Amino acid sequence: MRAVRERPIYSEIFQQFDEFRPHTGAVYVHGESLEERSRHSVQWESASPTVKFGRVSDQQPTSFQLQLGGNAYRVQVRSAQQLRALWTNVAVKVVYIDITGLDHSTWAPLLISALSFGLDVRAVYVEPLEYAYSKTPTEGDIFDLSERIRGVAPVPGLATLVDAYAESIFVPLLGFEGTRLAYVLEQVQPSGDSIVPVIGVPGFRPEYPFHTYLGNRASLSTTRAWHHVMYARANCPFSLWYVLGDIAERWPGKVLKVAPIGTKPHGLGAVLYWMTAPGSVEIVYDHPVRKSDRTAGASRTSVYYISDLFAGTPVPRFQNVPSS
Amino acid sequence: MAASDPSNVAPHSTEASSPVEEQLSHLFGSYKAEWLREQLFELFTEPTYFPELKTPRPCVLVGGRGTGKTTVLRCLSYEGQFALSGRKGDSIRDWPYYGMYYRVNTNRVAAFKGPEIAESQWIRLFGHYVNLELCELVLNFLQWAQLHSPGDHLAAHDCEEIGVSLHAGPTHDTKQLVSAVRRLKAEFEAAVNNVADAHFRDLSLQGAPLDTLMKAVASLTQFTGKTFFFLLDEYENFEDYQQQVVNTLLKHAGQSYTFKIGVRELGWRRRTTLNQNEQLTSPADYVRVDITSRLTEQDFSQFAAAVCNARLKRIVPQVEAAIHDVSVLLPALGEEAEAERLGIAEWWAATRASKKLGTAEVATLDQLPPLEAYFVVYWADSQRKSVAEVLMERAGDLTGWATRYANYRYASLFSLKSGKRGIRKYYAGWPVFIQLAAGNIRYLLELVDRSLIAHLQNGGSLSSSVPHDIQTDAAQKVGQKNLTELEGISVQGAKLTKLLLGLGRVFQVMATQSAGHAPEVNQFEVKFPEDASASPAAEVENLLRDAVMHLALLRFSGNKLQDPSETRDYDYMVHPIFAPFFVFSHRRKRKMTILADELLGLVHNPKRTIARILKSQNRRVEREPLPDQLALFEGFYAGGA
Repeated sequence: MRAVRERPIYSEIFQQFDEFRPHTGAVYVHGESLEERSRHSVQWESASPTVKFGRVSDQQPTSFQLQLGGNAYRVQVRSAQQLRALWTNVAVKVVYIDITGLDHSTWAPLLISALSFGLDVRAVYVEPLEYAYSKTPTEGDIFDLSERIRGVAPVPGLATLVDAYAESIFVPLLGFEGTRLAYVLEQVQPSGDSIVPVIGVPGFRPEYPFHTYLGNRASLSTTRAWHHVMYARANCPFSLWYVLGDIAERWPGKVLKVAPIGTKPHGLGAVLYWMTAPGSVEIVYDHPVRKSDRTAGASRTSVYYISDLFAGTPVPRFQNVPSS
Repeated sequence: MAASDPSNVAPHSTEASSPVEEQLSHLFGSYKAEWLREQLFELFTEPTYFPELKTPRPCVLVGGRGTGKTTVLRCLSYEGQFALSGRKGDSIRDWPYYGMYYRVNTNRVAAFKGPEIAESQWIRLFGHYVNLELCELVLNFLQWAQLHSPGDHLAAHDCEEIGVSLHAGPTHDTKQLVSAVRRLKAEFEAAVNNVADAHFRDLSLQGAPLDTLMKAVASLTQFTGKTFFFLLDEYENFEDYQQQVVNTLLKHAGQSYTFKIGVRELGWRRRTTLNQNEQLTSPADYVRVDITSRLTEQDFSQFAAAVCNARLKRIVPQVEAAIHDVSVLLPALGEEAEAERLGIAEWWAATRASKKLGTAEVATLDQLPPLEAYFVVYWADSQRKSVAEVLMERAGDLTGWATRYANYRYASLFSLKSGKRGIRKYYAGWPVFIQLAAGNIRYLLELVDRSLIAHLQNGGSLSSSVPHDIQTDAAQKVGQKNLTELEGISVQGAKLTKLLLGLGRVFQVMATQSAGHAPEVNQFEVKFPEDASASPAAEVENLLRDAVMHLALLRFSGNKLQDPSETRDYDYMVHPIFAPFFVFSHRRKRKMTILADELLGLVHNPKRTIARILKSQNRRVEREPLPDQLALFEGFYAGGA
């Protein structure tokens, strides 16, 4: 098994976000959340006159609104036809999907459809400068990031129904919020020896992995899953993609149940793995409602060249997408 | 970038430093059925209601989290039967029934909802999905049975008929049928993932393929006259309409198969079939087995002791004179002895030194057992009488006094060490642990696990009993652990935690300031306002329902006839497992009334609401410092929310 650092990483990282400019003639899809770091795209827009910026608004669990090139689209995310129609209409080759201000239920279907449409897909992510600490911290609740969770349900368009009876390995991609891990554990109910948590190392900041351990300490200890922890760079979907591949290789024939409850780049890596894995992968997501002041500031910008990962290789999940 | 290879890591190196502790941790700490894997069957202890589940009638097994539903259902499964019968392939044909276990996976069934299509269409889709799932379950069983006890195969014409029923195309044998079902599921998955495009062709008729398949299976020589159970666990995970779909299958199941359902209390939300007028009722349509009410305290004690003792006997190497009876390992503490440990001698010395009592009173009290002497003073304070007056009352009516003392003695222990550091009340002994667990085997195993591990870490061994303070500390920690876990249990977890913190504090203060009040108040009824439109009724009812379902609260029926899904006509009690953490009585005793808006206030504005409820009970929260273990939540109690 090769170390991740020896495998290709299709990313560019910009320390300052004004160092980055989208590719000429591309489409750049973004959404604004209440977080400061999701607002940078306005500056890129003014500096990139050849790029069409599409703004996502009204993100619902099963649909979103997209304002692009003077047109407004209401897109249902569980519709391959509507998503393909979107790409047909914009008629470009390069698309950026800025996942910073988009919900999983928006960016994941957009990304999958763009890839299956054959576009050169790039994802963008801006790290926060810092996360909000809880004013009354308790074990598992050091940070104050989520308002509530809506509950476990598939990310729209990414439901897995096959292999219901196969044995599984549960892979929670950990963040700071121990209660989210506790919740998904309660839903999935894996046995202790079949849990392989993944922690973001290096983290966005050097101390973050320690916060992750602290926040998830109770569940890691009760299930004894801390024995099996693996690490993947917190801001790198490709590192995570490789790590998931390594896990699948170590436990052949088992379904990977991946819970993206940590960083968004890890969530992106999980979705990429869901699309490409030769075996079964189930994404287990708890759909948190994020707090408006959960982060402050904007730090590094990462651009992920997603299509490069797929160059020349068939994507298993695309074969099952019904044609219109 | 693997940090560690699971196969190379020394197991549990910090949690248990000796092999015995490690074994204990595995045997008692693995209190969830899914953690034990195959050992689940080896450690299985049959509960008293188990024979009822083996009958060919549909059964609904109702119980809270940790009451053993999964264990029981898995032991009814063919894998369980195989393990329980010593893994003898020859015996498979002799089994009277074959159970097929199916856990309802929220993450999968939740795919079948959304605004893109109407519920009537979801019903059709879900019905097809259930057909595929259950058919695959049966086919997996057939393959397993062929492997372990070869017999007749499904006839080609049966396979064809099943294939047609599923719209699978031509299938001539079991192998082809298995492949076809898997292919159909993959295609169906893609269609559901694009549900708004409505690519739904060839949906099977609800239950039809299953009926055909089960009829064919029952006609095989090796299965003639046998019954098949579909063991559906965690029924609460189904959406409401999905419960109706499966209820319909249950109601109209073919002759050779039936359903055994495991569900949390209040988790069976829809009792009708898809025909709204067709209600499932017990005992006409199914046998309801309510685990907690089926097991009396004595039954549960015997069952739990058998479960624990079987685990104790598995520890190797056994120490000399090892105790294999958990009730001996966990000795109880009498009330007088507890009073002694809580510092009654110091109290008496201080009381004497205060010179509040005359010589005659001191002399009389000196003659009494210390706890009774304490109670005389406690009673005098609460009644605003002098000690001399109370002693006269006592002398004048010894029988009446004995009754009063019996009623209040236990309650008076809670105030003995009020406001002081350290243990303020003991929770020790097997009978107490049984009451704390309240019929929940998972809680009981946690209590035993924590006690024994702490005992060993303190230099004890399994040939000596666990000291009372270690038991108490363990009970507090189990309460705290389950309180903190509550937040992650459900989508309403944060609210449940706040509700529990609020109620816990209310009952803790009431327990400490019990003098002059009804003793051991630890239950409540909820009073809803007359004007339902002005009330937060729905939110309160949801909160109560979730609290019961996730074992923050227990509920008891009053005298009225109720719909089991109703929340209003019940009395509620904080689950006794939390009593040691908050320090109030774990015994089911007396109740008070809490207004619906107060219940919500405990969640949204705890500081003010706790004070308000306590004021209505003539108690004052500001007089009562938080117990040490609640200091962690100081911010919550000090804040507005």
